[in-house]
Amino acid sequence: MTLATATQPTEARDKAGVSHSGSRRSGPDTAFHLLVAASALLVLVVLGGLVVLMGVGGSQAFRTFGLGFAFRNVWNPVADQYGAWAPLFGTIVSTLIGVIIALPLAFGTAFWLTAMAPPRIAAIVGTAVQLLAAVPSIIFGMWGFFTIVPFMARTVQPFLTHHFKHVPGIRFIIHGAPFGTGLMTAGLVLAVMIAPFMTAVMRDVFAAMPNMLRESAYGLGATRWDVMWKVVVPWSRSGMIGAIVLGMGRALGETMAVTFVIGNVTAVGWSLFAPRSTVASLIALQFPESPAGSLRLSSLLALGFILMLLSFASLALARMLRGDTK
Amino acid sequence: MTPETLQGMTQDFMMTETDPQMVKSPEVALAVRNLNFYYGENHALHDISVDFPARRVTAMIGPSGCGKSTLLRVFNRMYDLYPGQRATGEVIFDGRNVLDRDLDLNILRARVGMVFQKPTPFPMSIYDNIAFGVRLHEKLNKADMDARVQDVLTRVALWNEVRDRLNAPASGLSGGQQQRLCIARSIATRPEVLLLDEPTSALDPISTARIEELLDELKEEFTIAIVTHNMQQAARCADQVAFFYMGRLIEVDSADRMFTNPKQQQTQDYITGRFG
Repeated sequence: MTLATATQPTEARDKAGVSHSGSRRSGPDTAFHLLVAASALLVLVVLGGLVVLMGVGGSQAFRTFGLGFAFRNVWNPVADQYGAWAPLFGTIVSTLIGVIIALPLAFGTAFWLTAMAPPRIAAIVGTAVQLLAAVPSIIFGMWGFFTIVPFMARTVQPFLTHHFKHVPGIRFIIHGAPFGTGLMTAGLVLAVMIAPFMTAVMRDVFAAMPNMLRESAYGLGATRWDVMWKVVVPWSRSGMIGAIVLGMGRALGETMAVTFVIGNVTAVGWSLFAPRSTVASLIALQFPESPAGSLRLSSLLALGFILMLLSFASLALARMLRGDTK
Repeated sequence: MTPETLQGMTQDFMMTETDPQMVKSPEVALAVRNLNFYYGENHALHDISVDFPARRVTAMIGPSGCGKSTLLRVFNRMYDLYPGQRATGEVIFDGRNVLDRDLDLNILRARVGMVFQKPTPFPMSIYDNIAFGVRLHEKLNKADMDARVQDVLTRVALWNEVRDRLNAPASGLSGGQQQRLCIARSIATRPEVLLLDEPTSALDPISTARIEELLDELKEEFTIAIVTHNMQQAARCADQVAFFYMGRLIEVDSADRMFTNPKQQQTQDYITGRFG
């Protein structure tokens, strides 16, 4: 059942492709064919253009600092020394925190909406989830700035410092002055932003699961917990990976909201409560101050190039994980 | 399989079975009394009263939408998964009303197994498909679980086909094999009643024949309620046949009388293919 469902779209597409190229076309049909083919090719052109622009723009930085640019832990415009490691670290860690927090939220919401909620309430909550997904990121940025940052500074950080400052292993994660900004705050805001997207995808995946399969599990006397972990999760594995990648993609590139709450200090360290920066926030903040042709601008473009590679890598990872299920 | 080996298997099962209910063998496994069923506002079953004799096959026939599958889904309270669906009346199973609010559904469903229109293997290995249901209700050690898996797979005549690939995904089996696996999975929790909702509708004639043979053997141990669209199948497999039309039970009788000499004109018309 899993296999059949998973391969269906590909088969259908293949068949459609075969019948199109094989059949004789009339005038309007040819025009239509060209039109859709052109829009598809445009995707390739745009993607290629983006990669080239970033690569060429960043080439000066890569020439100056070598490929090690990606792992240099320095960002000093005064000395004209640049490296991607600090913002890259910030991007990766804040994204991971966001995904780790959003995943159970999204999974729970999607499962509840499809399997347990009364239809009327499911419709209301479902719409609310979509609305949440439609909120512009700047709004989340301001919300994070006015609500989450003070909450972290006044409540979470003093609490953690008080209770865990002597616990080895945790101490270095919570170390730092209570600014309220940092990776944890950014991760939280990101989680709230990407959870609706992940929920929407997972909800579709769960809804696509045949009722009969669900009922078979319940029919054996399984509890909702058993059904969720042993049947729904394995069955929807590839769809859930898709949801995670979608969330990661958004979190990796999120700029405005993160810029508001991360503190914008180009430093690397394990404390989740110290001000950091991310690739996107650094680019957004420093782009206007970087003169054309400068090494600084080139370094920012190189950062963009690395960010794109990171997105592609996460997509490739998802493909690989999905391939495992076959 | 010869009648002798079948007899031997059955005795074997009876001896190893410790549940006194099985030995006592009540005449009626499921007694339905004044059952009404509603999909929201839609009144789908009207005042159904019918007995399902123990260790017999009762076939439920009738045109699409007549309520036969709905009745089947009352017996294991499957409708409970869906808000807005409700039943009134009584379904007495082992001295208790299945419709009772405080009945433990997980135990009920372990005792009343169900097989669906299409094979529904879980996304796991053949072995785990069987073990899944057993683990929900019993703590068995590895050897006992292995024995249980082998036992039920043998009884659905699947053991020889899959013994070498128990750890392979169940989705790799053919449709007929998958359906037999689903039957094996249902009997692995040692239910008393087996509900079959058009179990062969997605299968080819050969697989269908094998499932029908299987029913003949399984009814030695289980009370079977089967919904079918196929008149021949009902005639071949069933001891008792119930004809439903528009949410009402029109007639219920032994299969012989039902197909040769039905009392109601509507039944006559349906089984001779004049409508439905």
